[in-house]
Amino acid sequence: MSNLSLYTITAALILDSEGKRIYANYYTPIHPNASNDQTFQIQTPFPTLKTQETFEAGLFSKTFKSKSSIVLYEDQIVVYKVISDVAVYIVGSLKENEAMLYQVLSGLCEALEIVLKDAVDKKSIQENYDFVALAIDETIDDGIILETDGNAIASRVSKRPSSENTLNIELNERGLFNAFQFAKKKVKGFNF
Amino acid sequence: MSTLTYKKFDEGEGVLPDKMTIYQDCISAFNASPVNAKKCRILLAKLVRLLSIGETFPANEATNLFFSISKLFQHKSVELRQIVYLAIKKLCHISNDVLMVTSSIMKDIQNGDIIYKPNAIRTLARVLDSSTVHATERLFKNCIVDKNPNVSSAALVSSYHLSPESKDVVKRWANETQEAVYAQKYFPDTQFQNVHQEFYSRFPSSTQFSQYHALGLLYVLRNHDKMALVKMVNQLSGSSSPLTNPLAIIQVIRYISKLIEEDPSLADHLYPYLLTWTTNKSEMVCLESAKIILNYKKFSPEQHTEAISVLRDLLNAPRVVTIFAAVRMLNKIAMTNPEKVVVCNYELESLINHSNRSIATYAITTLLKTGSADTVDRLIKTISTFMNDISDEFKVVVIDAIRNLTLKFPEKYKPMLVFLSDVLRDEGGFKFKNTVVESLFDMIHYIPESRDSALENLCEFIEDCEYPELTVRILHLLGDEGPKTKNPTLYIRHIYNRIALENSIVRASAVVALSKFALTEDLSLKKSIEVLLQRSLTDSDDEVRDRAAVSLKLLSSSTDKTSSVILVDFIKPTKKYSLPILEQKLTQYISSSDKASYENPFDISSVPQYTEEEWKAQEYKAKTTVQASEEEPLSDHKGRSGLAGGATETHNETQQAELLQQQYIDEISQITELSEYGPILHSSSVVELTERETEFVVSVVKHIFKEHLVLQFNIENTLTDSELMMVSVISEGEVYQEEFILPVEKLAPRSKGTLYVSFARPEDEETGAPGLFSDTLSNTLSFTSREVDPTTLLPFDEEDEGYQDEYQIEELEVTIGDFIVPSFTADFDKTFAELPSENEEVAVFNLSSSSELQEAVNSVINVLSMSALGNTETVGFSANNHKLKVYGKSINGERIAGLINFVISKNGIVAKATVRSDNKALSETVVNGIA
Repeated sequence: MSNLSLYTITAALILDSEGKRIYANYYTPIHPNASNDQTFQIQTPFPTLKTQETFEAGLFSKTFKSKSSIVLYEDQIVVYKVISDVAVYIVGSLKENEAMLYQVLSGLCEALEIVLKDAVDKKSIQENYDFVALAIDETIDDGIILETDGNAIASRVSKRPSSENTLNIELNERGLFNAFQFAKKKVKGFNF
Repeated sequence: MSTLTYKKFDEGEGVLPDKMTIYQDCISAFNASPVNAKKCRILLAKLVRLLSIGETFPANEATNLFFSISKLFQHKSVELRQIVYLAIKKLCHISNDVLMVTSSIMKDIQNGDIIYKPNAIRTLARVLDSSTVHATERLFKNCIVDKNPNVSSAALVSSYHLSPESKDVVKRWANETQEAVYAQKYFPDTQFQNVHQEFYSRFPSSTQFSQYHALGLLYVLRNHDKMALVKMVNQLSGSSSPLTNPLAIIQVIRYISKLIEEDPSLADHLYPYLLTWTTNKSEMVCLESAKIILNYKKFSPEQHTEAISVLRDLLNAPRVVTIFAAVRMLNKIAMTNPEKVVVCNYELESLINHSNRSIATYAITTLLKTGSADTVDRLIKTISTFMNDISDEFKVVVIDAIRNLTLKFPEKYKPMLVFLSDVLRDEGGFKFKNTVVESLFDMIHYIPESRDSALENLCEFIEDCEYPELTVRILHLLGDEGPKTKNPTLYIRHIYNRIALENSIVRASAVVALSKFALTEDLSLKKSIEVLLQRSLTDSDDEVRDRAAVSLKLLSSSTDKTSSVILVDFIKPTKKYSLPILEQKLTQYISSSDKASYENPFDISSVPQYTEEEWKAQEYKAKTTVQASEEEPLSDHKGRSGLAGGATETHNETQQAELLQQQYIDEISQITELSEYGPILHSSSVVELTERETEFVVSVVKHIFKEHLVLQFNIENTLTDSELMMVSVISEGEVYQEEFILPVEKLAPRSKGTLYVSFARPEDEETGAPGLFSDTLSNTLSFTSREVDPTTLLPFDEEDEGYQDEYQIEELEVTIGDFIVPSFTADFDKTFAELPSENEEVAVFNLSSSSELQEAVNSVINVLSMSALGNTETVGFSANNHKLKVYGKSINGERIAGLINFVISKNGIVAKATVRSDNKALSETVVNGIA
């Protein structure tokens, strides 16, 4: 039977040229066991760090040097893209739509190119991890696909805070004031 | 280690400092005053990175971090806030007291900046639990109908995450969700006017992802209401569909598939929708709709053909992934209905050399399945040209496919034999060689004509084989098959060469193989073998010497008839033990904790034995049904993909059946009344006599003994508040007379029990032996029921004697199949001709119960419990007639061969059965049993 739930992605991975993790996220529903509803009975195939690392090592050796973009591995469909010295993987179940998974991958890769200023490589990812992590978070939310358009994904990623010194003092006072106002509201709310 | 990493900390951001350093830095930076927003964002990124590569924190440290991070809510920076949410999401699983940030998050959702508002909404789903969700109702409703697609999507996805936990609350915003499905939402003008401006390739006005999320949520809220789902699908399908997001359309397609699965009558109504989508501009939509059409048998062959032509077009798509998906689907269909895929052969052939290895493999294996007898030659030629360029794992897949093809078209064995012997000479690893050798073994076993030349190839192979495991197996086979050939001496030379040249393991098995040749009637041959064996008596290895000595001793003692029978049985057993059962029994024996059980030696006679024919029938069935049961050929990482994987699966199935049979035997032998009946000659499969949902679930297994028929009733009491006592089944038939019932004394609520009813097998008037009679038995479950406390399972009233009750269950047919054991013969036509023609019985039937040819064929095979041979169990695509060949043996050992022609006529399916057997009466019984 087809997957009727929105939970479609098993994992998103970025591995370096030696197969080491740069980013790894294995998705599980947030409140998995609360319901008997079959739609939510999703079991992750890689529950422990060890199984995950074995999976990644095997997957890496099978994919990194090949020019292809899709492979079935360990009962998962894996779509991937090797960009300079890193490989980006999107993993889904065997019943998933291959083209859909690929759409997610290409959207994400496009977004990474934008937020990393066309320099997608290991060094750049590590130095700009905030951009990368945010971009992935805007693409997939615990297994649910949020967006597949690279430009739309990138547009949701904020830049780093800048010119902090001048702003900071002002902000800090404001922050305190806000906190005070907030506390006051709370106190009112409790009818002291 | 830690000083080293500490030093590196300031060198560059690429290197990640150790966990404790990050922890300390985070705590101090987040609690600092004033907070440095940029520094904090970079620190949080490091924290996220640490968690992303698999590190974790103990709960108290995580909680500390969580608490410190929550202080950053006081800082106004939107850029910092966005990553704060990411960090909170990551820490939620391992930290305690996550609820404390709820009010800060809710405040951000109400008044926050549009950049982090969606992040806030999505984080909210992680910190809420069922007791706090209700407070967010208004918030969620507002966000879902928000015209900003990011906000709406975030709220829908969060609701989705929350729905299993608090469905009742989430249901309250079903109306807003419904609205979101139909709404068109566009990105605000400001969406692309931020940071990465010069890098955007374009500015999409909308991707309508909120439709997809809303649809997913709406389904969860409504999925138990079929009519609502039908209505929704109707509104969302067709030309006026409001859906533009391809993922949303895929979702609708999947709902359609669920509807059809539950109610096949909707198939015709929903098909046009699917068909329109097969031409959608998005390839994933085309693929999904084609997949659904092909998944359901309820769609007509014409409809399937339309879906296949969609896939055929997609084989020319530019994207590798699309081709992969299409060829994967075609391959799956080819496993069960190869004839449907034939139209794609041209496209498939162009994919044989595709750079994606998986695609090429799928293309070849599909072609090998769709190949007809005429195209086999050409196909094999094509494959030979590139066998050298591909890797071993890939070769294994191809060889496996060829092996199946060989079994399918035995008459085409010649080119395949040439192919196999060619590749056997190629370089290759053990796995690859092993597969080739296995394929040749299969040929020898199932295609007698190929035996001599295949054996010759194997002989040649062992002359220069680097794998002793393979040499040993081949020697064993030579010993079994060599003496049957016209010119056994040919093989003796090859075997003897092994004794001269190889290591002790190979030498030992060569000695055994040689001794088998001495069993032929040719006395001069026997003499020369004895001479050869003599030489091995001086071998340097004791095992080789022992085996030679034993063989010589046995050979010299076989002067009279009786001892030679024993001898033959010793050197070349006619029966094989069932290995899975042997394994199970031995495990049981050695794992027994009771010391007393070791006093008796292991009883080998408790393991059933099979004759060569029965063995082959089982193997043949396993091998030819592999394709249908195989799910995913290329997924296994060992590359030992597909067919092998499928084979183990079906092997497991047959093993399961075997183990089940063994379990019956064990159970029955425990019962004194039945243990004297002798061995079970045949056990039927489990027949259900009630629906599965009834108060008492009853199934039955028929066991045939030499003079008795025993019904084993498995009864399950599904009630929670009644126990049953003295449970028995009263079975009445015309032919079979009940002897006694072994009732179940007591059946507690929600428990299972087994009872037996024994019948005498009436004698056949002609032979005086128990005959093979069909009968219909009516069954009534009889018991005394008494109410009990569902929690303690004790009766409310000890004095309560309960009341007597009866419960009607379905009738049971005893058919001729219950007396037949499936068997195998390599050449059906020959066997059929061999059986005396005066024992032939012919009859014509109208099989009104089946509407489809395949269904009729299956039911006949089932009723007769014989094996279908020569690939005749599958009906051709849209064929209107079919020829089925079945073979089996009666429990008395008489051979039965049946040739059944099915034709579709105006009045349904008509079958003409021609049955021959060793016994005229038997033929008649079998023919009558078909109807």
